[in-house]
Amino acid sequence: MDTLIAQLQRQFRDYTISLYHQGFLDDQFTELKKLQDECSPDFVAEVVTLFFEDCEKLISNMARALDQAGNVDFKLVGSSVHQLKGSSSSVGAKRVKGLCITLKECCDSQNYEGCVRCLQQVDIEYKTLKAKLQDLFNLEQQIVQAGGRIPQVDI
Amino acid sequence: MRGDSFSMNIENIPDSPMVSRKKKMKIRKVFDKMTQWVTPWRSNLESPREMMILRGDVEQDEFQYASSHCLSSYYSVFVVRLAIMVMLAILIGLLTVLTWHFTRIYTKQSLKTLAYGLRYELLQRPVLRMWSVVNTTSELTTAQVKLSEYVIKKSDKPTTQEELVEMYQAMKDVTWALFASAKALNAITINYRNGFVQAFHRDPASSSTFYIFSDLKNYSINGIGPEDVSGWNNQSIHGNMSAIWYQQQLDPVTGEKLGKPLKIPPDDLINIAGISQVPDGEASWHVTVSKYMDSPLLSAALPVFDASNKSIVAVVGVTTALYSVGQLMRDLVDVHGGHIYLTSQEGYLLATSTNGPLLKNTTNGPKLMKAIDSEEWVIRAGAQWLEKTYGSKRPQEVHAENVKLGDQRYYIDSFYLNLKRLPIRGVVIIPRKFIMGKVDERAFKTLIILISASVCIFFIGCVCILILTNGVSKEMKLRAELIRQLDARRRAEASSNYKSQFLANMSHELRTPMAAVIGLLDILISDDCLSNEQYATVTQIRKCSTALLRLLNNILDLSKVESGKLVLEEAEFDLGRELEGLVDMFSVQCINQNVETVLDLSDDMPALVRGDSARLVQIFANLISNSIKFTTTGHIILRGWCENINSLHDEMSLTVDRKKPWAPMKTKLVQHRNHLQKSCKNANKMVLWFEVDDTGCGIDPSKWDSVFESFEQADPSTTRTHGGTGLGLCIVRNLVNKMGGEIKVVQKNGLGTLMRLYLILSTPETADQNIQPDFSKYGLVVLLSMYGSTARMITSKWLRKHGIATVEASDWNELTQIIRDLLEMGSRVNSFDSQNNIADSLRAELSNIEEIKNPVFVIVVDIGVLDLTTDIWKEQLNYLDRFSNKAKFAWLLKHDTSNIVKTELRRKGHVMMVNKPLYKAKMIQILEAVIKNRKRCNGLRNRGNGSDESHDCLEIDPTQFDTCSSDDSSETSGEKHIDKSVQPSTLHSPVLKNYLIDATNSNNDDSTSASITQKNPEEEDWKDRLYSGIALDGKNLKSLEGVRILLAEDTPVLQRVATIMLEKMGATVTAVWDGQQAVDSLNYKSINAQDPTEEHKSSEEETVNNSINPQSSLRNSSPYDLILMDCQVKLLFTYEFNSTC
Repeated sequence: MDTLIAQLQRQFRDYTISLYHQGFLDDQFTELKKLQDECSPDFVAEVVTLFFEDCEKLISNMARALDQAGNVDFKLVGSSVHQLKGSSSSVGAKRVKGLCITLKECCDSQNYEGCVRCLQQVDIEYKTLKAKLQDLFNLEQQIVQAGGRIPQVDI
Repeated sequence: MRGDSFSMNIENIPDSPMVSRKKKMKIRKVFDKMTQWVTPWRSNLESPREMMILRGDVEQDEFQYASSHCLSSYYSVFVVRLAIMVMLAILIGLLTVLTWHFTRIYTKQSLKTLAYGLRYELLQRPVLRMWSVVNTTSELTTAQVKLSEYVIKKSDKPTTQEELVEMYQAMKDVTWALFASAKALNAITINYRNGFVQAFHRDPASSSTFYIFSDLKNYSINGIGPEDVSGWNNQSIHGNMSAIWYQQQLDPVTGEKLGKPLKIPPDDLINIAGISQVPDGEASWHVTVSKYMDSPLLSAALPVFDASNKSIVAVVGVTTALYSVGQLMRDLVDVHGGHIYLTSQEGYLLATSTNGPLLKNTTNGPKLMKAIDSEEWVIRAGAQWLEKTYGSKRPQEVHAENVKLGDQRYYIDSFYLNLKRLPIRGVVIIPRKFIMGKVDERAFKTLIILISASVCIFFIGCVCILILTNGVSKEMKLRAELIRQLDARRRAEASSNYKSQFLANMSHELRTPMAAVIGLLDILISDDCLSNEQYATVTQIRKCSTALLRLLNNILDLSKVESGKLVLEEAEFDLGRELEGLVDMFSVQCINQNVETVLDLSDDMPALVRGDSARLVQIFANLISNSIKFTTTGHIILRGWCENINSLHDEMSLTVDRKKPWAPMKTKLVQHRNHLQKSCKNANKMVLWFEVDDTGCGIDPSKWDSVFESFEQADPSTTRTHGGTGLGLCIVRNLVNKMGGEIKVVQKNGLGTLMRLYLILSTPETADQNIQPDFSKYGLVVLLSMYGSTARMITSKWLRKHGIATVEASDWNELTQIIRDLLEMGSRVNSFDSQNNIADSLRAELSNIEEIKNPVFVIVVDIGVLDLTTDIWKEQLNYLDRFSNKAKFAWLLKHDTSNIVKTELRRKGHVMMVNKPLYKAKMIQILEAVIKNRKRCNGLRNRGNGSDESHDCLEIDPTQFDTCSSDDSSETSGEKHIDKSVQPSTLHSPVLKNYLIDATNSNNDDSTSASITQKNPEEEDWKDRLYSGIALDGKNLKSLEGVRILLAEDTPVLQRVATIMLEKMGATVTAVWDGQQAVDSLNYKSINAQDPTEEHKSSEEETVNNSINPQSSLRNSSPYDLILMDCQVKLLFTYEFNSTC
């Protein structure tokens, strides 16, 4: 039992570190985790879920805006990107944030091609992150179910 | 100037673009000036910045403008003068000409009339004479004829020679009688028919009279009958050589014969009238000449008829000389001048007024001369003129004036005398100058006089005009100057006003980024990952930013006051505490400079006053910092006392005597007071007097007034050494004036400056007066051991006033000596003997102390008295420690006293420590602590000595300043010591705060920012905390306890994160999605929401990066303490939101 927990914990730790190292997450996520305590046990998950919902909505918004090939409302896209950037940075989704910055630049320079390309990347990236985080939360749950403590990961 | 350029333009005409540009510029300039002049308000529209930058240009422009203006005004004045002078000249000239003209015309006219009369008269006389001559001649002739006829009739038809001779003799007698009677006659001739001639003749040359007769023998008596009249001819008289002529001289009177008749040749014969002269039997007239006469003769001839009247028997001729006429004319001319002459119709001269000959000698004897051939020049010229002018058809009368003959002017008048058979012309030639000469001369003189008088008047008038217009032009110049000055002043005022308004408006915009910069720097400093070098740099930046912010605040304050936007708050505050804090703060700076800072407030100062504490503190902060700047050694004293405004009047006379320089201010104060009393009768107004006294370099008395002007420094050279903008005192004066007071530099004895000011502040009605604890009954003895003499003196004075025995010691030796004297009772006698050098006053003091029963000794020791440079202080401490059971030690620490010392002190059980400087409140604090401790000790004596009770009365040194003060408060707030065991209720005076440093907590001094009290989440504390630049980390999670926050954020993730973060820190968060909700929420929460604090939060930042406005946070009546809002929050922009609120 203990070995399982230990293994799970190690796995969790490795996975988390890998996420950090691969640049999916940054310190903000750590901060977020620090905010989670007894009063709000599922705070991180809640925020992340909120974030993904937001992402989905914003990306579809942007996609719709960019579909209208003739007159793309770059302003609308820009404001969406801005929100997405804020959300992602507050969650600590580092890659998404970086892509958002690029997308914002494209948007500002009204580069349609760049926008479309970036948006696709964002879409891919956020889905990847979603999958990864899902794995992470699964791991967490497994640890909790196994009766173990979620280890503090110091980056 | 203008002329030069103009001529240059003319010269440069070929290269016209240049000229035209120049011209354009000139025109443009002129136009600008005109518009400037006409519309001065236009300049107001220019931006003040530009005005400031272009001030130099403007001045130059003004200068040019002024000079050109002067020039133009000079020209205009000149033109006006010229015009007036010309008008005057015309007027005077006109008057002169008219006067002269009329005078002359009237004179001339009358003279001319007179002259005409004269001329007429002149001419008439000779004509009349002529006439009379003719008449005489005619009468004589007629008489001769009649007599002859009578005689001849009587001897009718003489037949014999005798009869004939008898008749001739009779004729001769008769004729002689006639001739003798008429003297004027020249000759009478009788020519008989037979050719016999009888004649009497006078020769005027020899004045002799002759009888001339022909030889009678040749005549036959009957030889020629009347039928042979045709045989008579003149030739027979002259040419008849056969006849012999005799001339016999007679006595002119008697007619006696003188001598014998002489034979004379026919050439010498006079004119004998013959029958040819009377062809028709009528009388005839001739003008003849005779060789005996140099003047023409007038001869008349009449025939003598016989008795039957049918035949002429003889011809009688009478000849008269015209000499008399000439004589008359000469006489006339002698009187009147000029020339007169008479001519026959043919132009032969008959008589002239001159002596010139009238006849010309020809070979055939003398002949008549024509007037134009006259030898007399004038007559000739006049005749020639007449001839030339009128020719043959001469009118009967000629009156000519101004006839120029030669080089003179003449009057020429001619008359025609129509005598039968002898028409005569008379001509008068009078030189003009005889008649008009005087007149002309006088007229000329008059003209000269008039002209000279006119010229004089003209010049005098010109001078008068110059003098008169000089005043006018001066006034004009002055007026123009005045107008220009006013204009310039208005412009300057406008620009200044614009500057102020601009700055006032910019205040927020300027302050906000500075606050952000400082806040960010604080975050950076609190970050651990900085290297030392970076840390130093950032700290430097922090300091510079703070300095910049201070400067900005100064400028902004000033402009705010100037633009009238400054509104003073009306809130109660503890005046003493504010000032104490201020002094505490500055003392840090002063101790470094070896300058004492002393606070000396009188006891009657009200504890609580109403007013704007921040501004009040700013006043004193500026004054004190100013003093510190210029004081290198000595002391700075802030004195304060108080006067009730209602009792001011009574004190007036007294104060005026005492402080003479303040007399005007006092009167002003009284006026002010009257006004105040009218306006707010109920308010309990107090006049608070303050003095800031330093021992610096002082201010020159001439600059006493001007130092309060903006950008004014007493000595500009000090800027380099001390820095500063010169705004501080200006702000102070503005603020003081705004508070109803006045500030002035006062004469001071000794070095330095003494600034005195008064403020009128109201004290709250409910405020309980400062209860002064009565220390006298406790038998306290205080030993002040401080080496700052001023502070010591003031403190001891105060202590003595309150009945506390006080001994002073200035250094270690003195201290030990006194301690020994006081405390080592046993060895007192010895010590007195050994310490003879103790001053008498001190000895008296000591002896007084001896009389106190059961004295409580309080020894206040300045840490500076100990020798901290070496380790000697430990020994000194040990020495003092020996007396710790007999006396209470209170330590005055410096802000930089090292922890080792503090720890050591604490270890020794010295718990009473205050930071320098020592002032009244701190002293009271110490004394109270001592008294309380003593009571407790008495109470707990049985239970042993509980040294830990002293914790109860220990507190922090809460030096607090509002950020509005011109000095940066965040520096001081960083040094704040916060105690967790605050028990202010233990003090019996609630307004007194504790100033003692907590012994137990002093370990935490370094991490002050982290330890924040949560017990008393007052607004002030909250503000201080925010301002101390706390980085919100996990350690102080509950630091936002009780703070209500409205969060407006439209990104759900951000909202959630922020909410959690804030809630973690203990805040109560209300999250809304957009601006409209925020407004609604505000309105819902509180209808009387006043002025909620706004916070602009950038959506990208997770950490709460505050740049809060601390002033508004003071107003805690709003439902939220803090509103965090995304600048781009939906539905309502933040700025609109602000305005909505």
